[in-house]
Amino acid sequence: MGFRRLIAPLASIVGLSLIVIVVFLGIYAWPAVKFNGWHFLIRNNWNLGNLYGNPIMRHGQQVMPGAAYGILFLIVGTLLSTLIAVLIAVPFGVGAAMFLAEGIPPVLRPWLSFFVELLAAIPSVVFGLWGYVLLIPFLSHHVFPFMAKRFGFIPFFKGSTGSGYGLLTCGLVLSLMIVPLIAATVRDALVSRPIGQREAALALGATRFETLWAVELPGVRRVIIASTILATGRALGETMAVLMVSGNALNYLPNNIYTPISTMASFIVSQLDSALEDPTGMAVRSLAEVALVLCAISIVVNGIARLLLYFSGQERMEAGAWM
Amino acid sequence: MDVMAVDVRAAIVNPTLGRSLRRRIFNGLGWMLSALTFLLLGAAMLSILILVFVRGAHALNLKVFTHITEGTSGGLLNAIEGTLIISLGGILLAIPPGLAAGIYLAEFNDGFLAPVLRFLSDVLVGVPSIVIGYFVYVTLVVDLGWQFSVAAASIALAIMSLPYICRTSEVALRQVPITLREAGHALGVTTGTVTMRICLPMALPGILTGVLLALSIAVGETAPLIYTAGWSSYLWTGHLTHEPVGYLTYVIWAFITEPFEGAHALAYAAAFLVTFFVLLIGVAARMVLYRNAGAQRHS
Amino acid sequence: MSVSSRSASVVKRSIAFRYGAIALVLAIVATFSVRAALAAQNVNLLETGSSLLYPLFNLWVPVYTKANPSVRITTQSTGSGTGMSQAIEGIAQIGASDAFLSPAMMRIHPDMLNIPLAISMQMVNYNLPGLNNRHIKLSGPVLAGIYDGSIRMWNDKAIAAMNPGVNLPDHAIIPIHRTDGSGDTFIFTQYLSFSTPSWANQYSFGTTISWAPVPGELGAEGNPGMVTALQDNEYGIAYIGTSYQQAIQQHGLGIAMLKNRNGDYVLPSAMTAKAAAAQMVSKTPADERISLIFAPGPQSYPIINYEYALVKQRQPSAATAAALRNLFTWAISPNGGNAPHFMEQVHFVPLPSSVAKLSAAQIAKIQ
Repeated sequence: MGFRRLIAPLASIVGLSLIVIVVFLGIYAWPAVKFNGWHFLIRNNWNLGNLYGNPIMRHGQQVMPGAAYGILFLIVGTLLSTLIAVLIAVPFGVGAAMFLAEGIPPVLRPWLSFFVELLAAIPSVVFGLWGYVLLIPFLSHHVFPFMAKRFGFIPFFKGSTGSGYGLLTCGLVLSLMIVPLIAATVRDALVSRPIGQREAALALGATRFETLWAVELPGVRRVIIASTILATGRALGETMAVLMVSGNALNYLPNNIYTPISTMASFIVSQLDSALEDPTGMAVRSLAEVALVLCAISIVVNGIARLLLYFSGQERMEAGAWM
Repeated sequence: MDVMAVDVRAAIVNPTLGRSLRRRIFNGLGWMLSALTFLLLGAAMLSILILVFVRGAHALNLKVFTHITEGTSGGLLNAIEGTLIISLGGILLAIPPGLAAGIYLAEFNDGFLAPVLRFLSDVLVGVPSIVIGYFVYVTLVVDLGWQFSVAAASIALAIMSLPYICRTSEVALRQVPITLREAGHALGVTTGTVTMRICLPMALPGILTGVLLALSIAVGETAPLIYTAGWSSYLWTGHLTHEPVGYLTYVIWAFITEPFEGAHALAYAAAFLVTFFVLLIGVAARMVLYRNAGAQRHS
Repeated sequence: MSVSSRSASVVKRSIAFRYGAIALVLAIVATFSVRAALAAQNVNLLETGSSLLYPLFNLWVPVYTKANPSVRITTQSTGSGTGMSQAIEGIAQIGASDAFLSPAMMRIHPDMLNIPLAISMQMVNYNLPGLNNRHIKLSGPVLAGIYDGSIRMWNDKAIAAMNPGVNLPDHAIIPIHRTDGSGDTFIFTQYLSFSTPSWANQYSFGTTISWAPVPGELGAEGNPGMVTALQDNEYGIAYIGTSYQQAIQQHGLGIAMLKNRNGDYVLPSAMTAKAAAAQMVSKTPADERISLIFAPGPQSYPIINYEYALVKQRQPSAATAAALRNLFTWAISPNGGNAPHFMEQVHFVPLPSSVAKLSAAQIAKIQ
């Protein structure tokens, strides 16, 4: 009992650090929450006001004249880029997992799986570098104009293809970052399935692919869903890669998939210093509100995924590539 | 699933020409698509690795390792040193509470604290790293007046690493056979001694894997460091606070947009080093894990 | 049996591990104390902010620290907004900024000094295939139209009217602006505000403003990011500090002639900058917080500004204060940092002697 009491306080630091962060953000952002109200979430207007004017009182708070904070464009940018990333990453992740689990010669399997797991560790800023140096010029000169011309009939594919910085580029880079995570997890789940059902299907004369598709894959459905949600969480909070390829749009919504965007996480990095210029402090507190909203979305998404995982009993995901 | 199995059987019992053709197409197409997804993924990844390692190798020279940064030229010695200090610092700070939490979750799963702690730890993984950086910036860097410093940066990285170390050590400890614990208790040894003397050494490889994973994440982080470590083009002089510190990922991010060739070369060199470190740690972590798995099989 | 032999080996390994850990800690402590001893006599200065001033600081620092080896200066290109906020927070000893601190900021932090170190100017650059060496003409109201979205095409009649004989492309303009808090944004939007009343009413000026939502527009980080973004984007337009003129010329990008208060179109050059400065120098107050934008005179280039070092009057230690005074005194001296070979490399203009005197008086206040 003594030992337990001894380590409990030390162990609690893990949980306390999360609680402290969330509570701190809440308290710190509170004046901004009061000042901005619901408009914060539904308006496209991030405006520090006239920084060279004199502070005025509004809604009981001291702010710069003309100051208003609405982050709809950030919420939309974050959600859309994540949506695109997930739409691309799920089929690719599951397809690659199937191929890794069954499609390649058994000798190569551990090596290629190892390769995919290592890719999950490549830092965000390196993905950003790649997107910035290679992907953007390639997309803007070759792919986007072609897409706009040939697939212009699909909604949001038409129109100015811009500079290569933007929504689709973000989605592609993000999807590349999360595919290894999905692929590694789903592959593990496929490999660790009980062999009985598989043998039964094969004995019935089903081919290997039919077995994989109709028997194995439905069996790991929960893992696919949970890993997708966790990948969503990862994409929502991704910062550096997005900062380098998004175009850092301000105050407008994308009108096609090539339009520049900003996400909440990258906006915090790019705007924290500007916000500190506001002598009334409202800008910094509004930025804390952005962090709070982002944190809330991430916590909800991760909470859902973890709950799903507890029910599906996937220990490996708790310890492996996800961590 | 049952329905599908029945379908499969129906298809085999009553083969018709159309159906068998459809099956063949379905099979071929299925393999082709899954191979295609893997190849595309592999191609994109190889493109990243080639970019980093080929351009990085061109940019690497002795000066990178022996000189400090001057403006946007010079070497990266300061950044290499800084990255090692703040990542190791972060990990060292994270190990005591992370390990304690792992032990608690593995050994004392009965109370109300364990499930709460497990949930909070899992949620902490999902908190975007920039939010942690923001928190440390406002509280430690500005309010406590630590300024950009090794201490602030290490603490930001430590908070990030906590859940990784916590959960991997929990899993590693759980894999220690319960019979060992029972044997210890039967001999009249206290829980604390059993955990520290029997379970912990047994679980060491698993715990080490987790620590290495956390280290590789810390080495590759940028966002939480921009507002905690700052940047310095000099070597660290040993002050925990009030002295900014350089790190490699900053060079990648900040120098690649400078309109000078020399700055780009440093960015690629930094990308080479960071990616190399991270992959090396990843390989080491797996080797620890595999060797241990092998050892357990043989014993 | 197998378990016990295994745990024996584990115990052995853990002992080795423990000694290894102790050795590691000792080594860290040892380097730590040696480093701390070495550090005692050094003064660390962090300069952060303006990416326009950054190239100049990078020229200065090696020369200055060679002569003064006890001072260690780290330079960082983060944008003037960062320079302001981190100088105020005391995180950076020197905040570099193209803009002076706002009146509201000065009321809250009366301790801050705004010390001009040199005079800089800003180019308006564009990337128009075939026209990059033509120096097309632009005015404040036209630029305001481009950045507020009312002028969307390069062959808009407002642009065509001031560029007779130039074959402007029928292509959408990509306006590029800074996303970080930026002194370049401050001086650029001042030019727009002073020349275009509608811009002044709606957007005004500042280091960070709420840009109009123009489809296709881009945000870029720092002057370097602006150069790169412009280079990558044909039909783009950007405002870029003159210290990046070399990069602009290297990449073959266009430099626009701007309409000044007199109605004449002038190119940024040492001559036009000096002409503009000559009109404004005598108006400079003792605290040196003044805009030099849109100066009168036929030769005056409309976007010039003082490059400020933002510094706290009261420094934590006498050593730091002395180091800062020495550095700045050297920086504004015509034989030191303001020497022609430094200024010409970044296309800056040295401080006129009367302004240098005002700066010297402010430098003396750093204690």
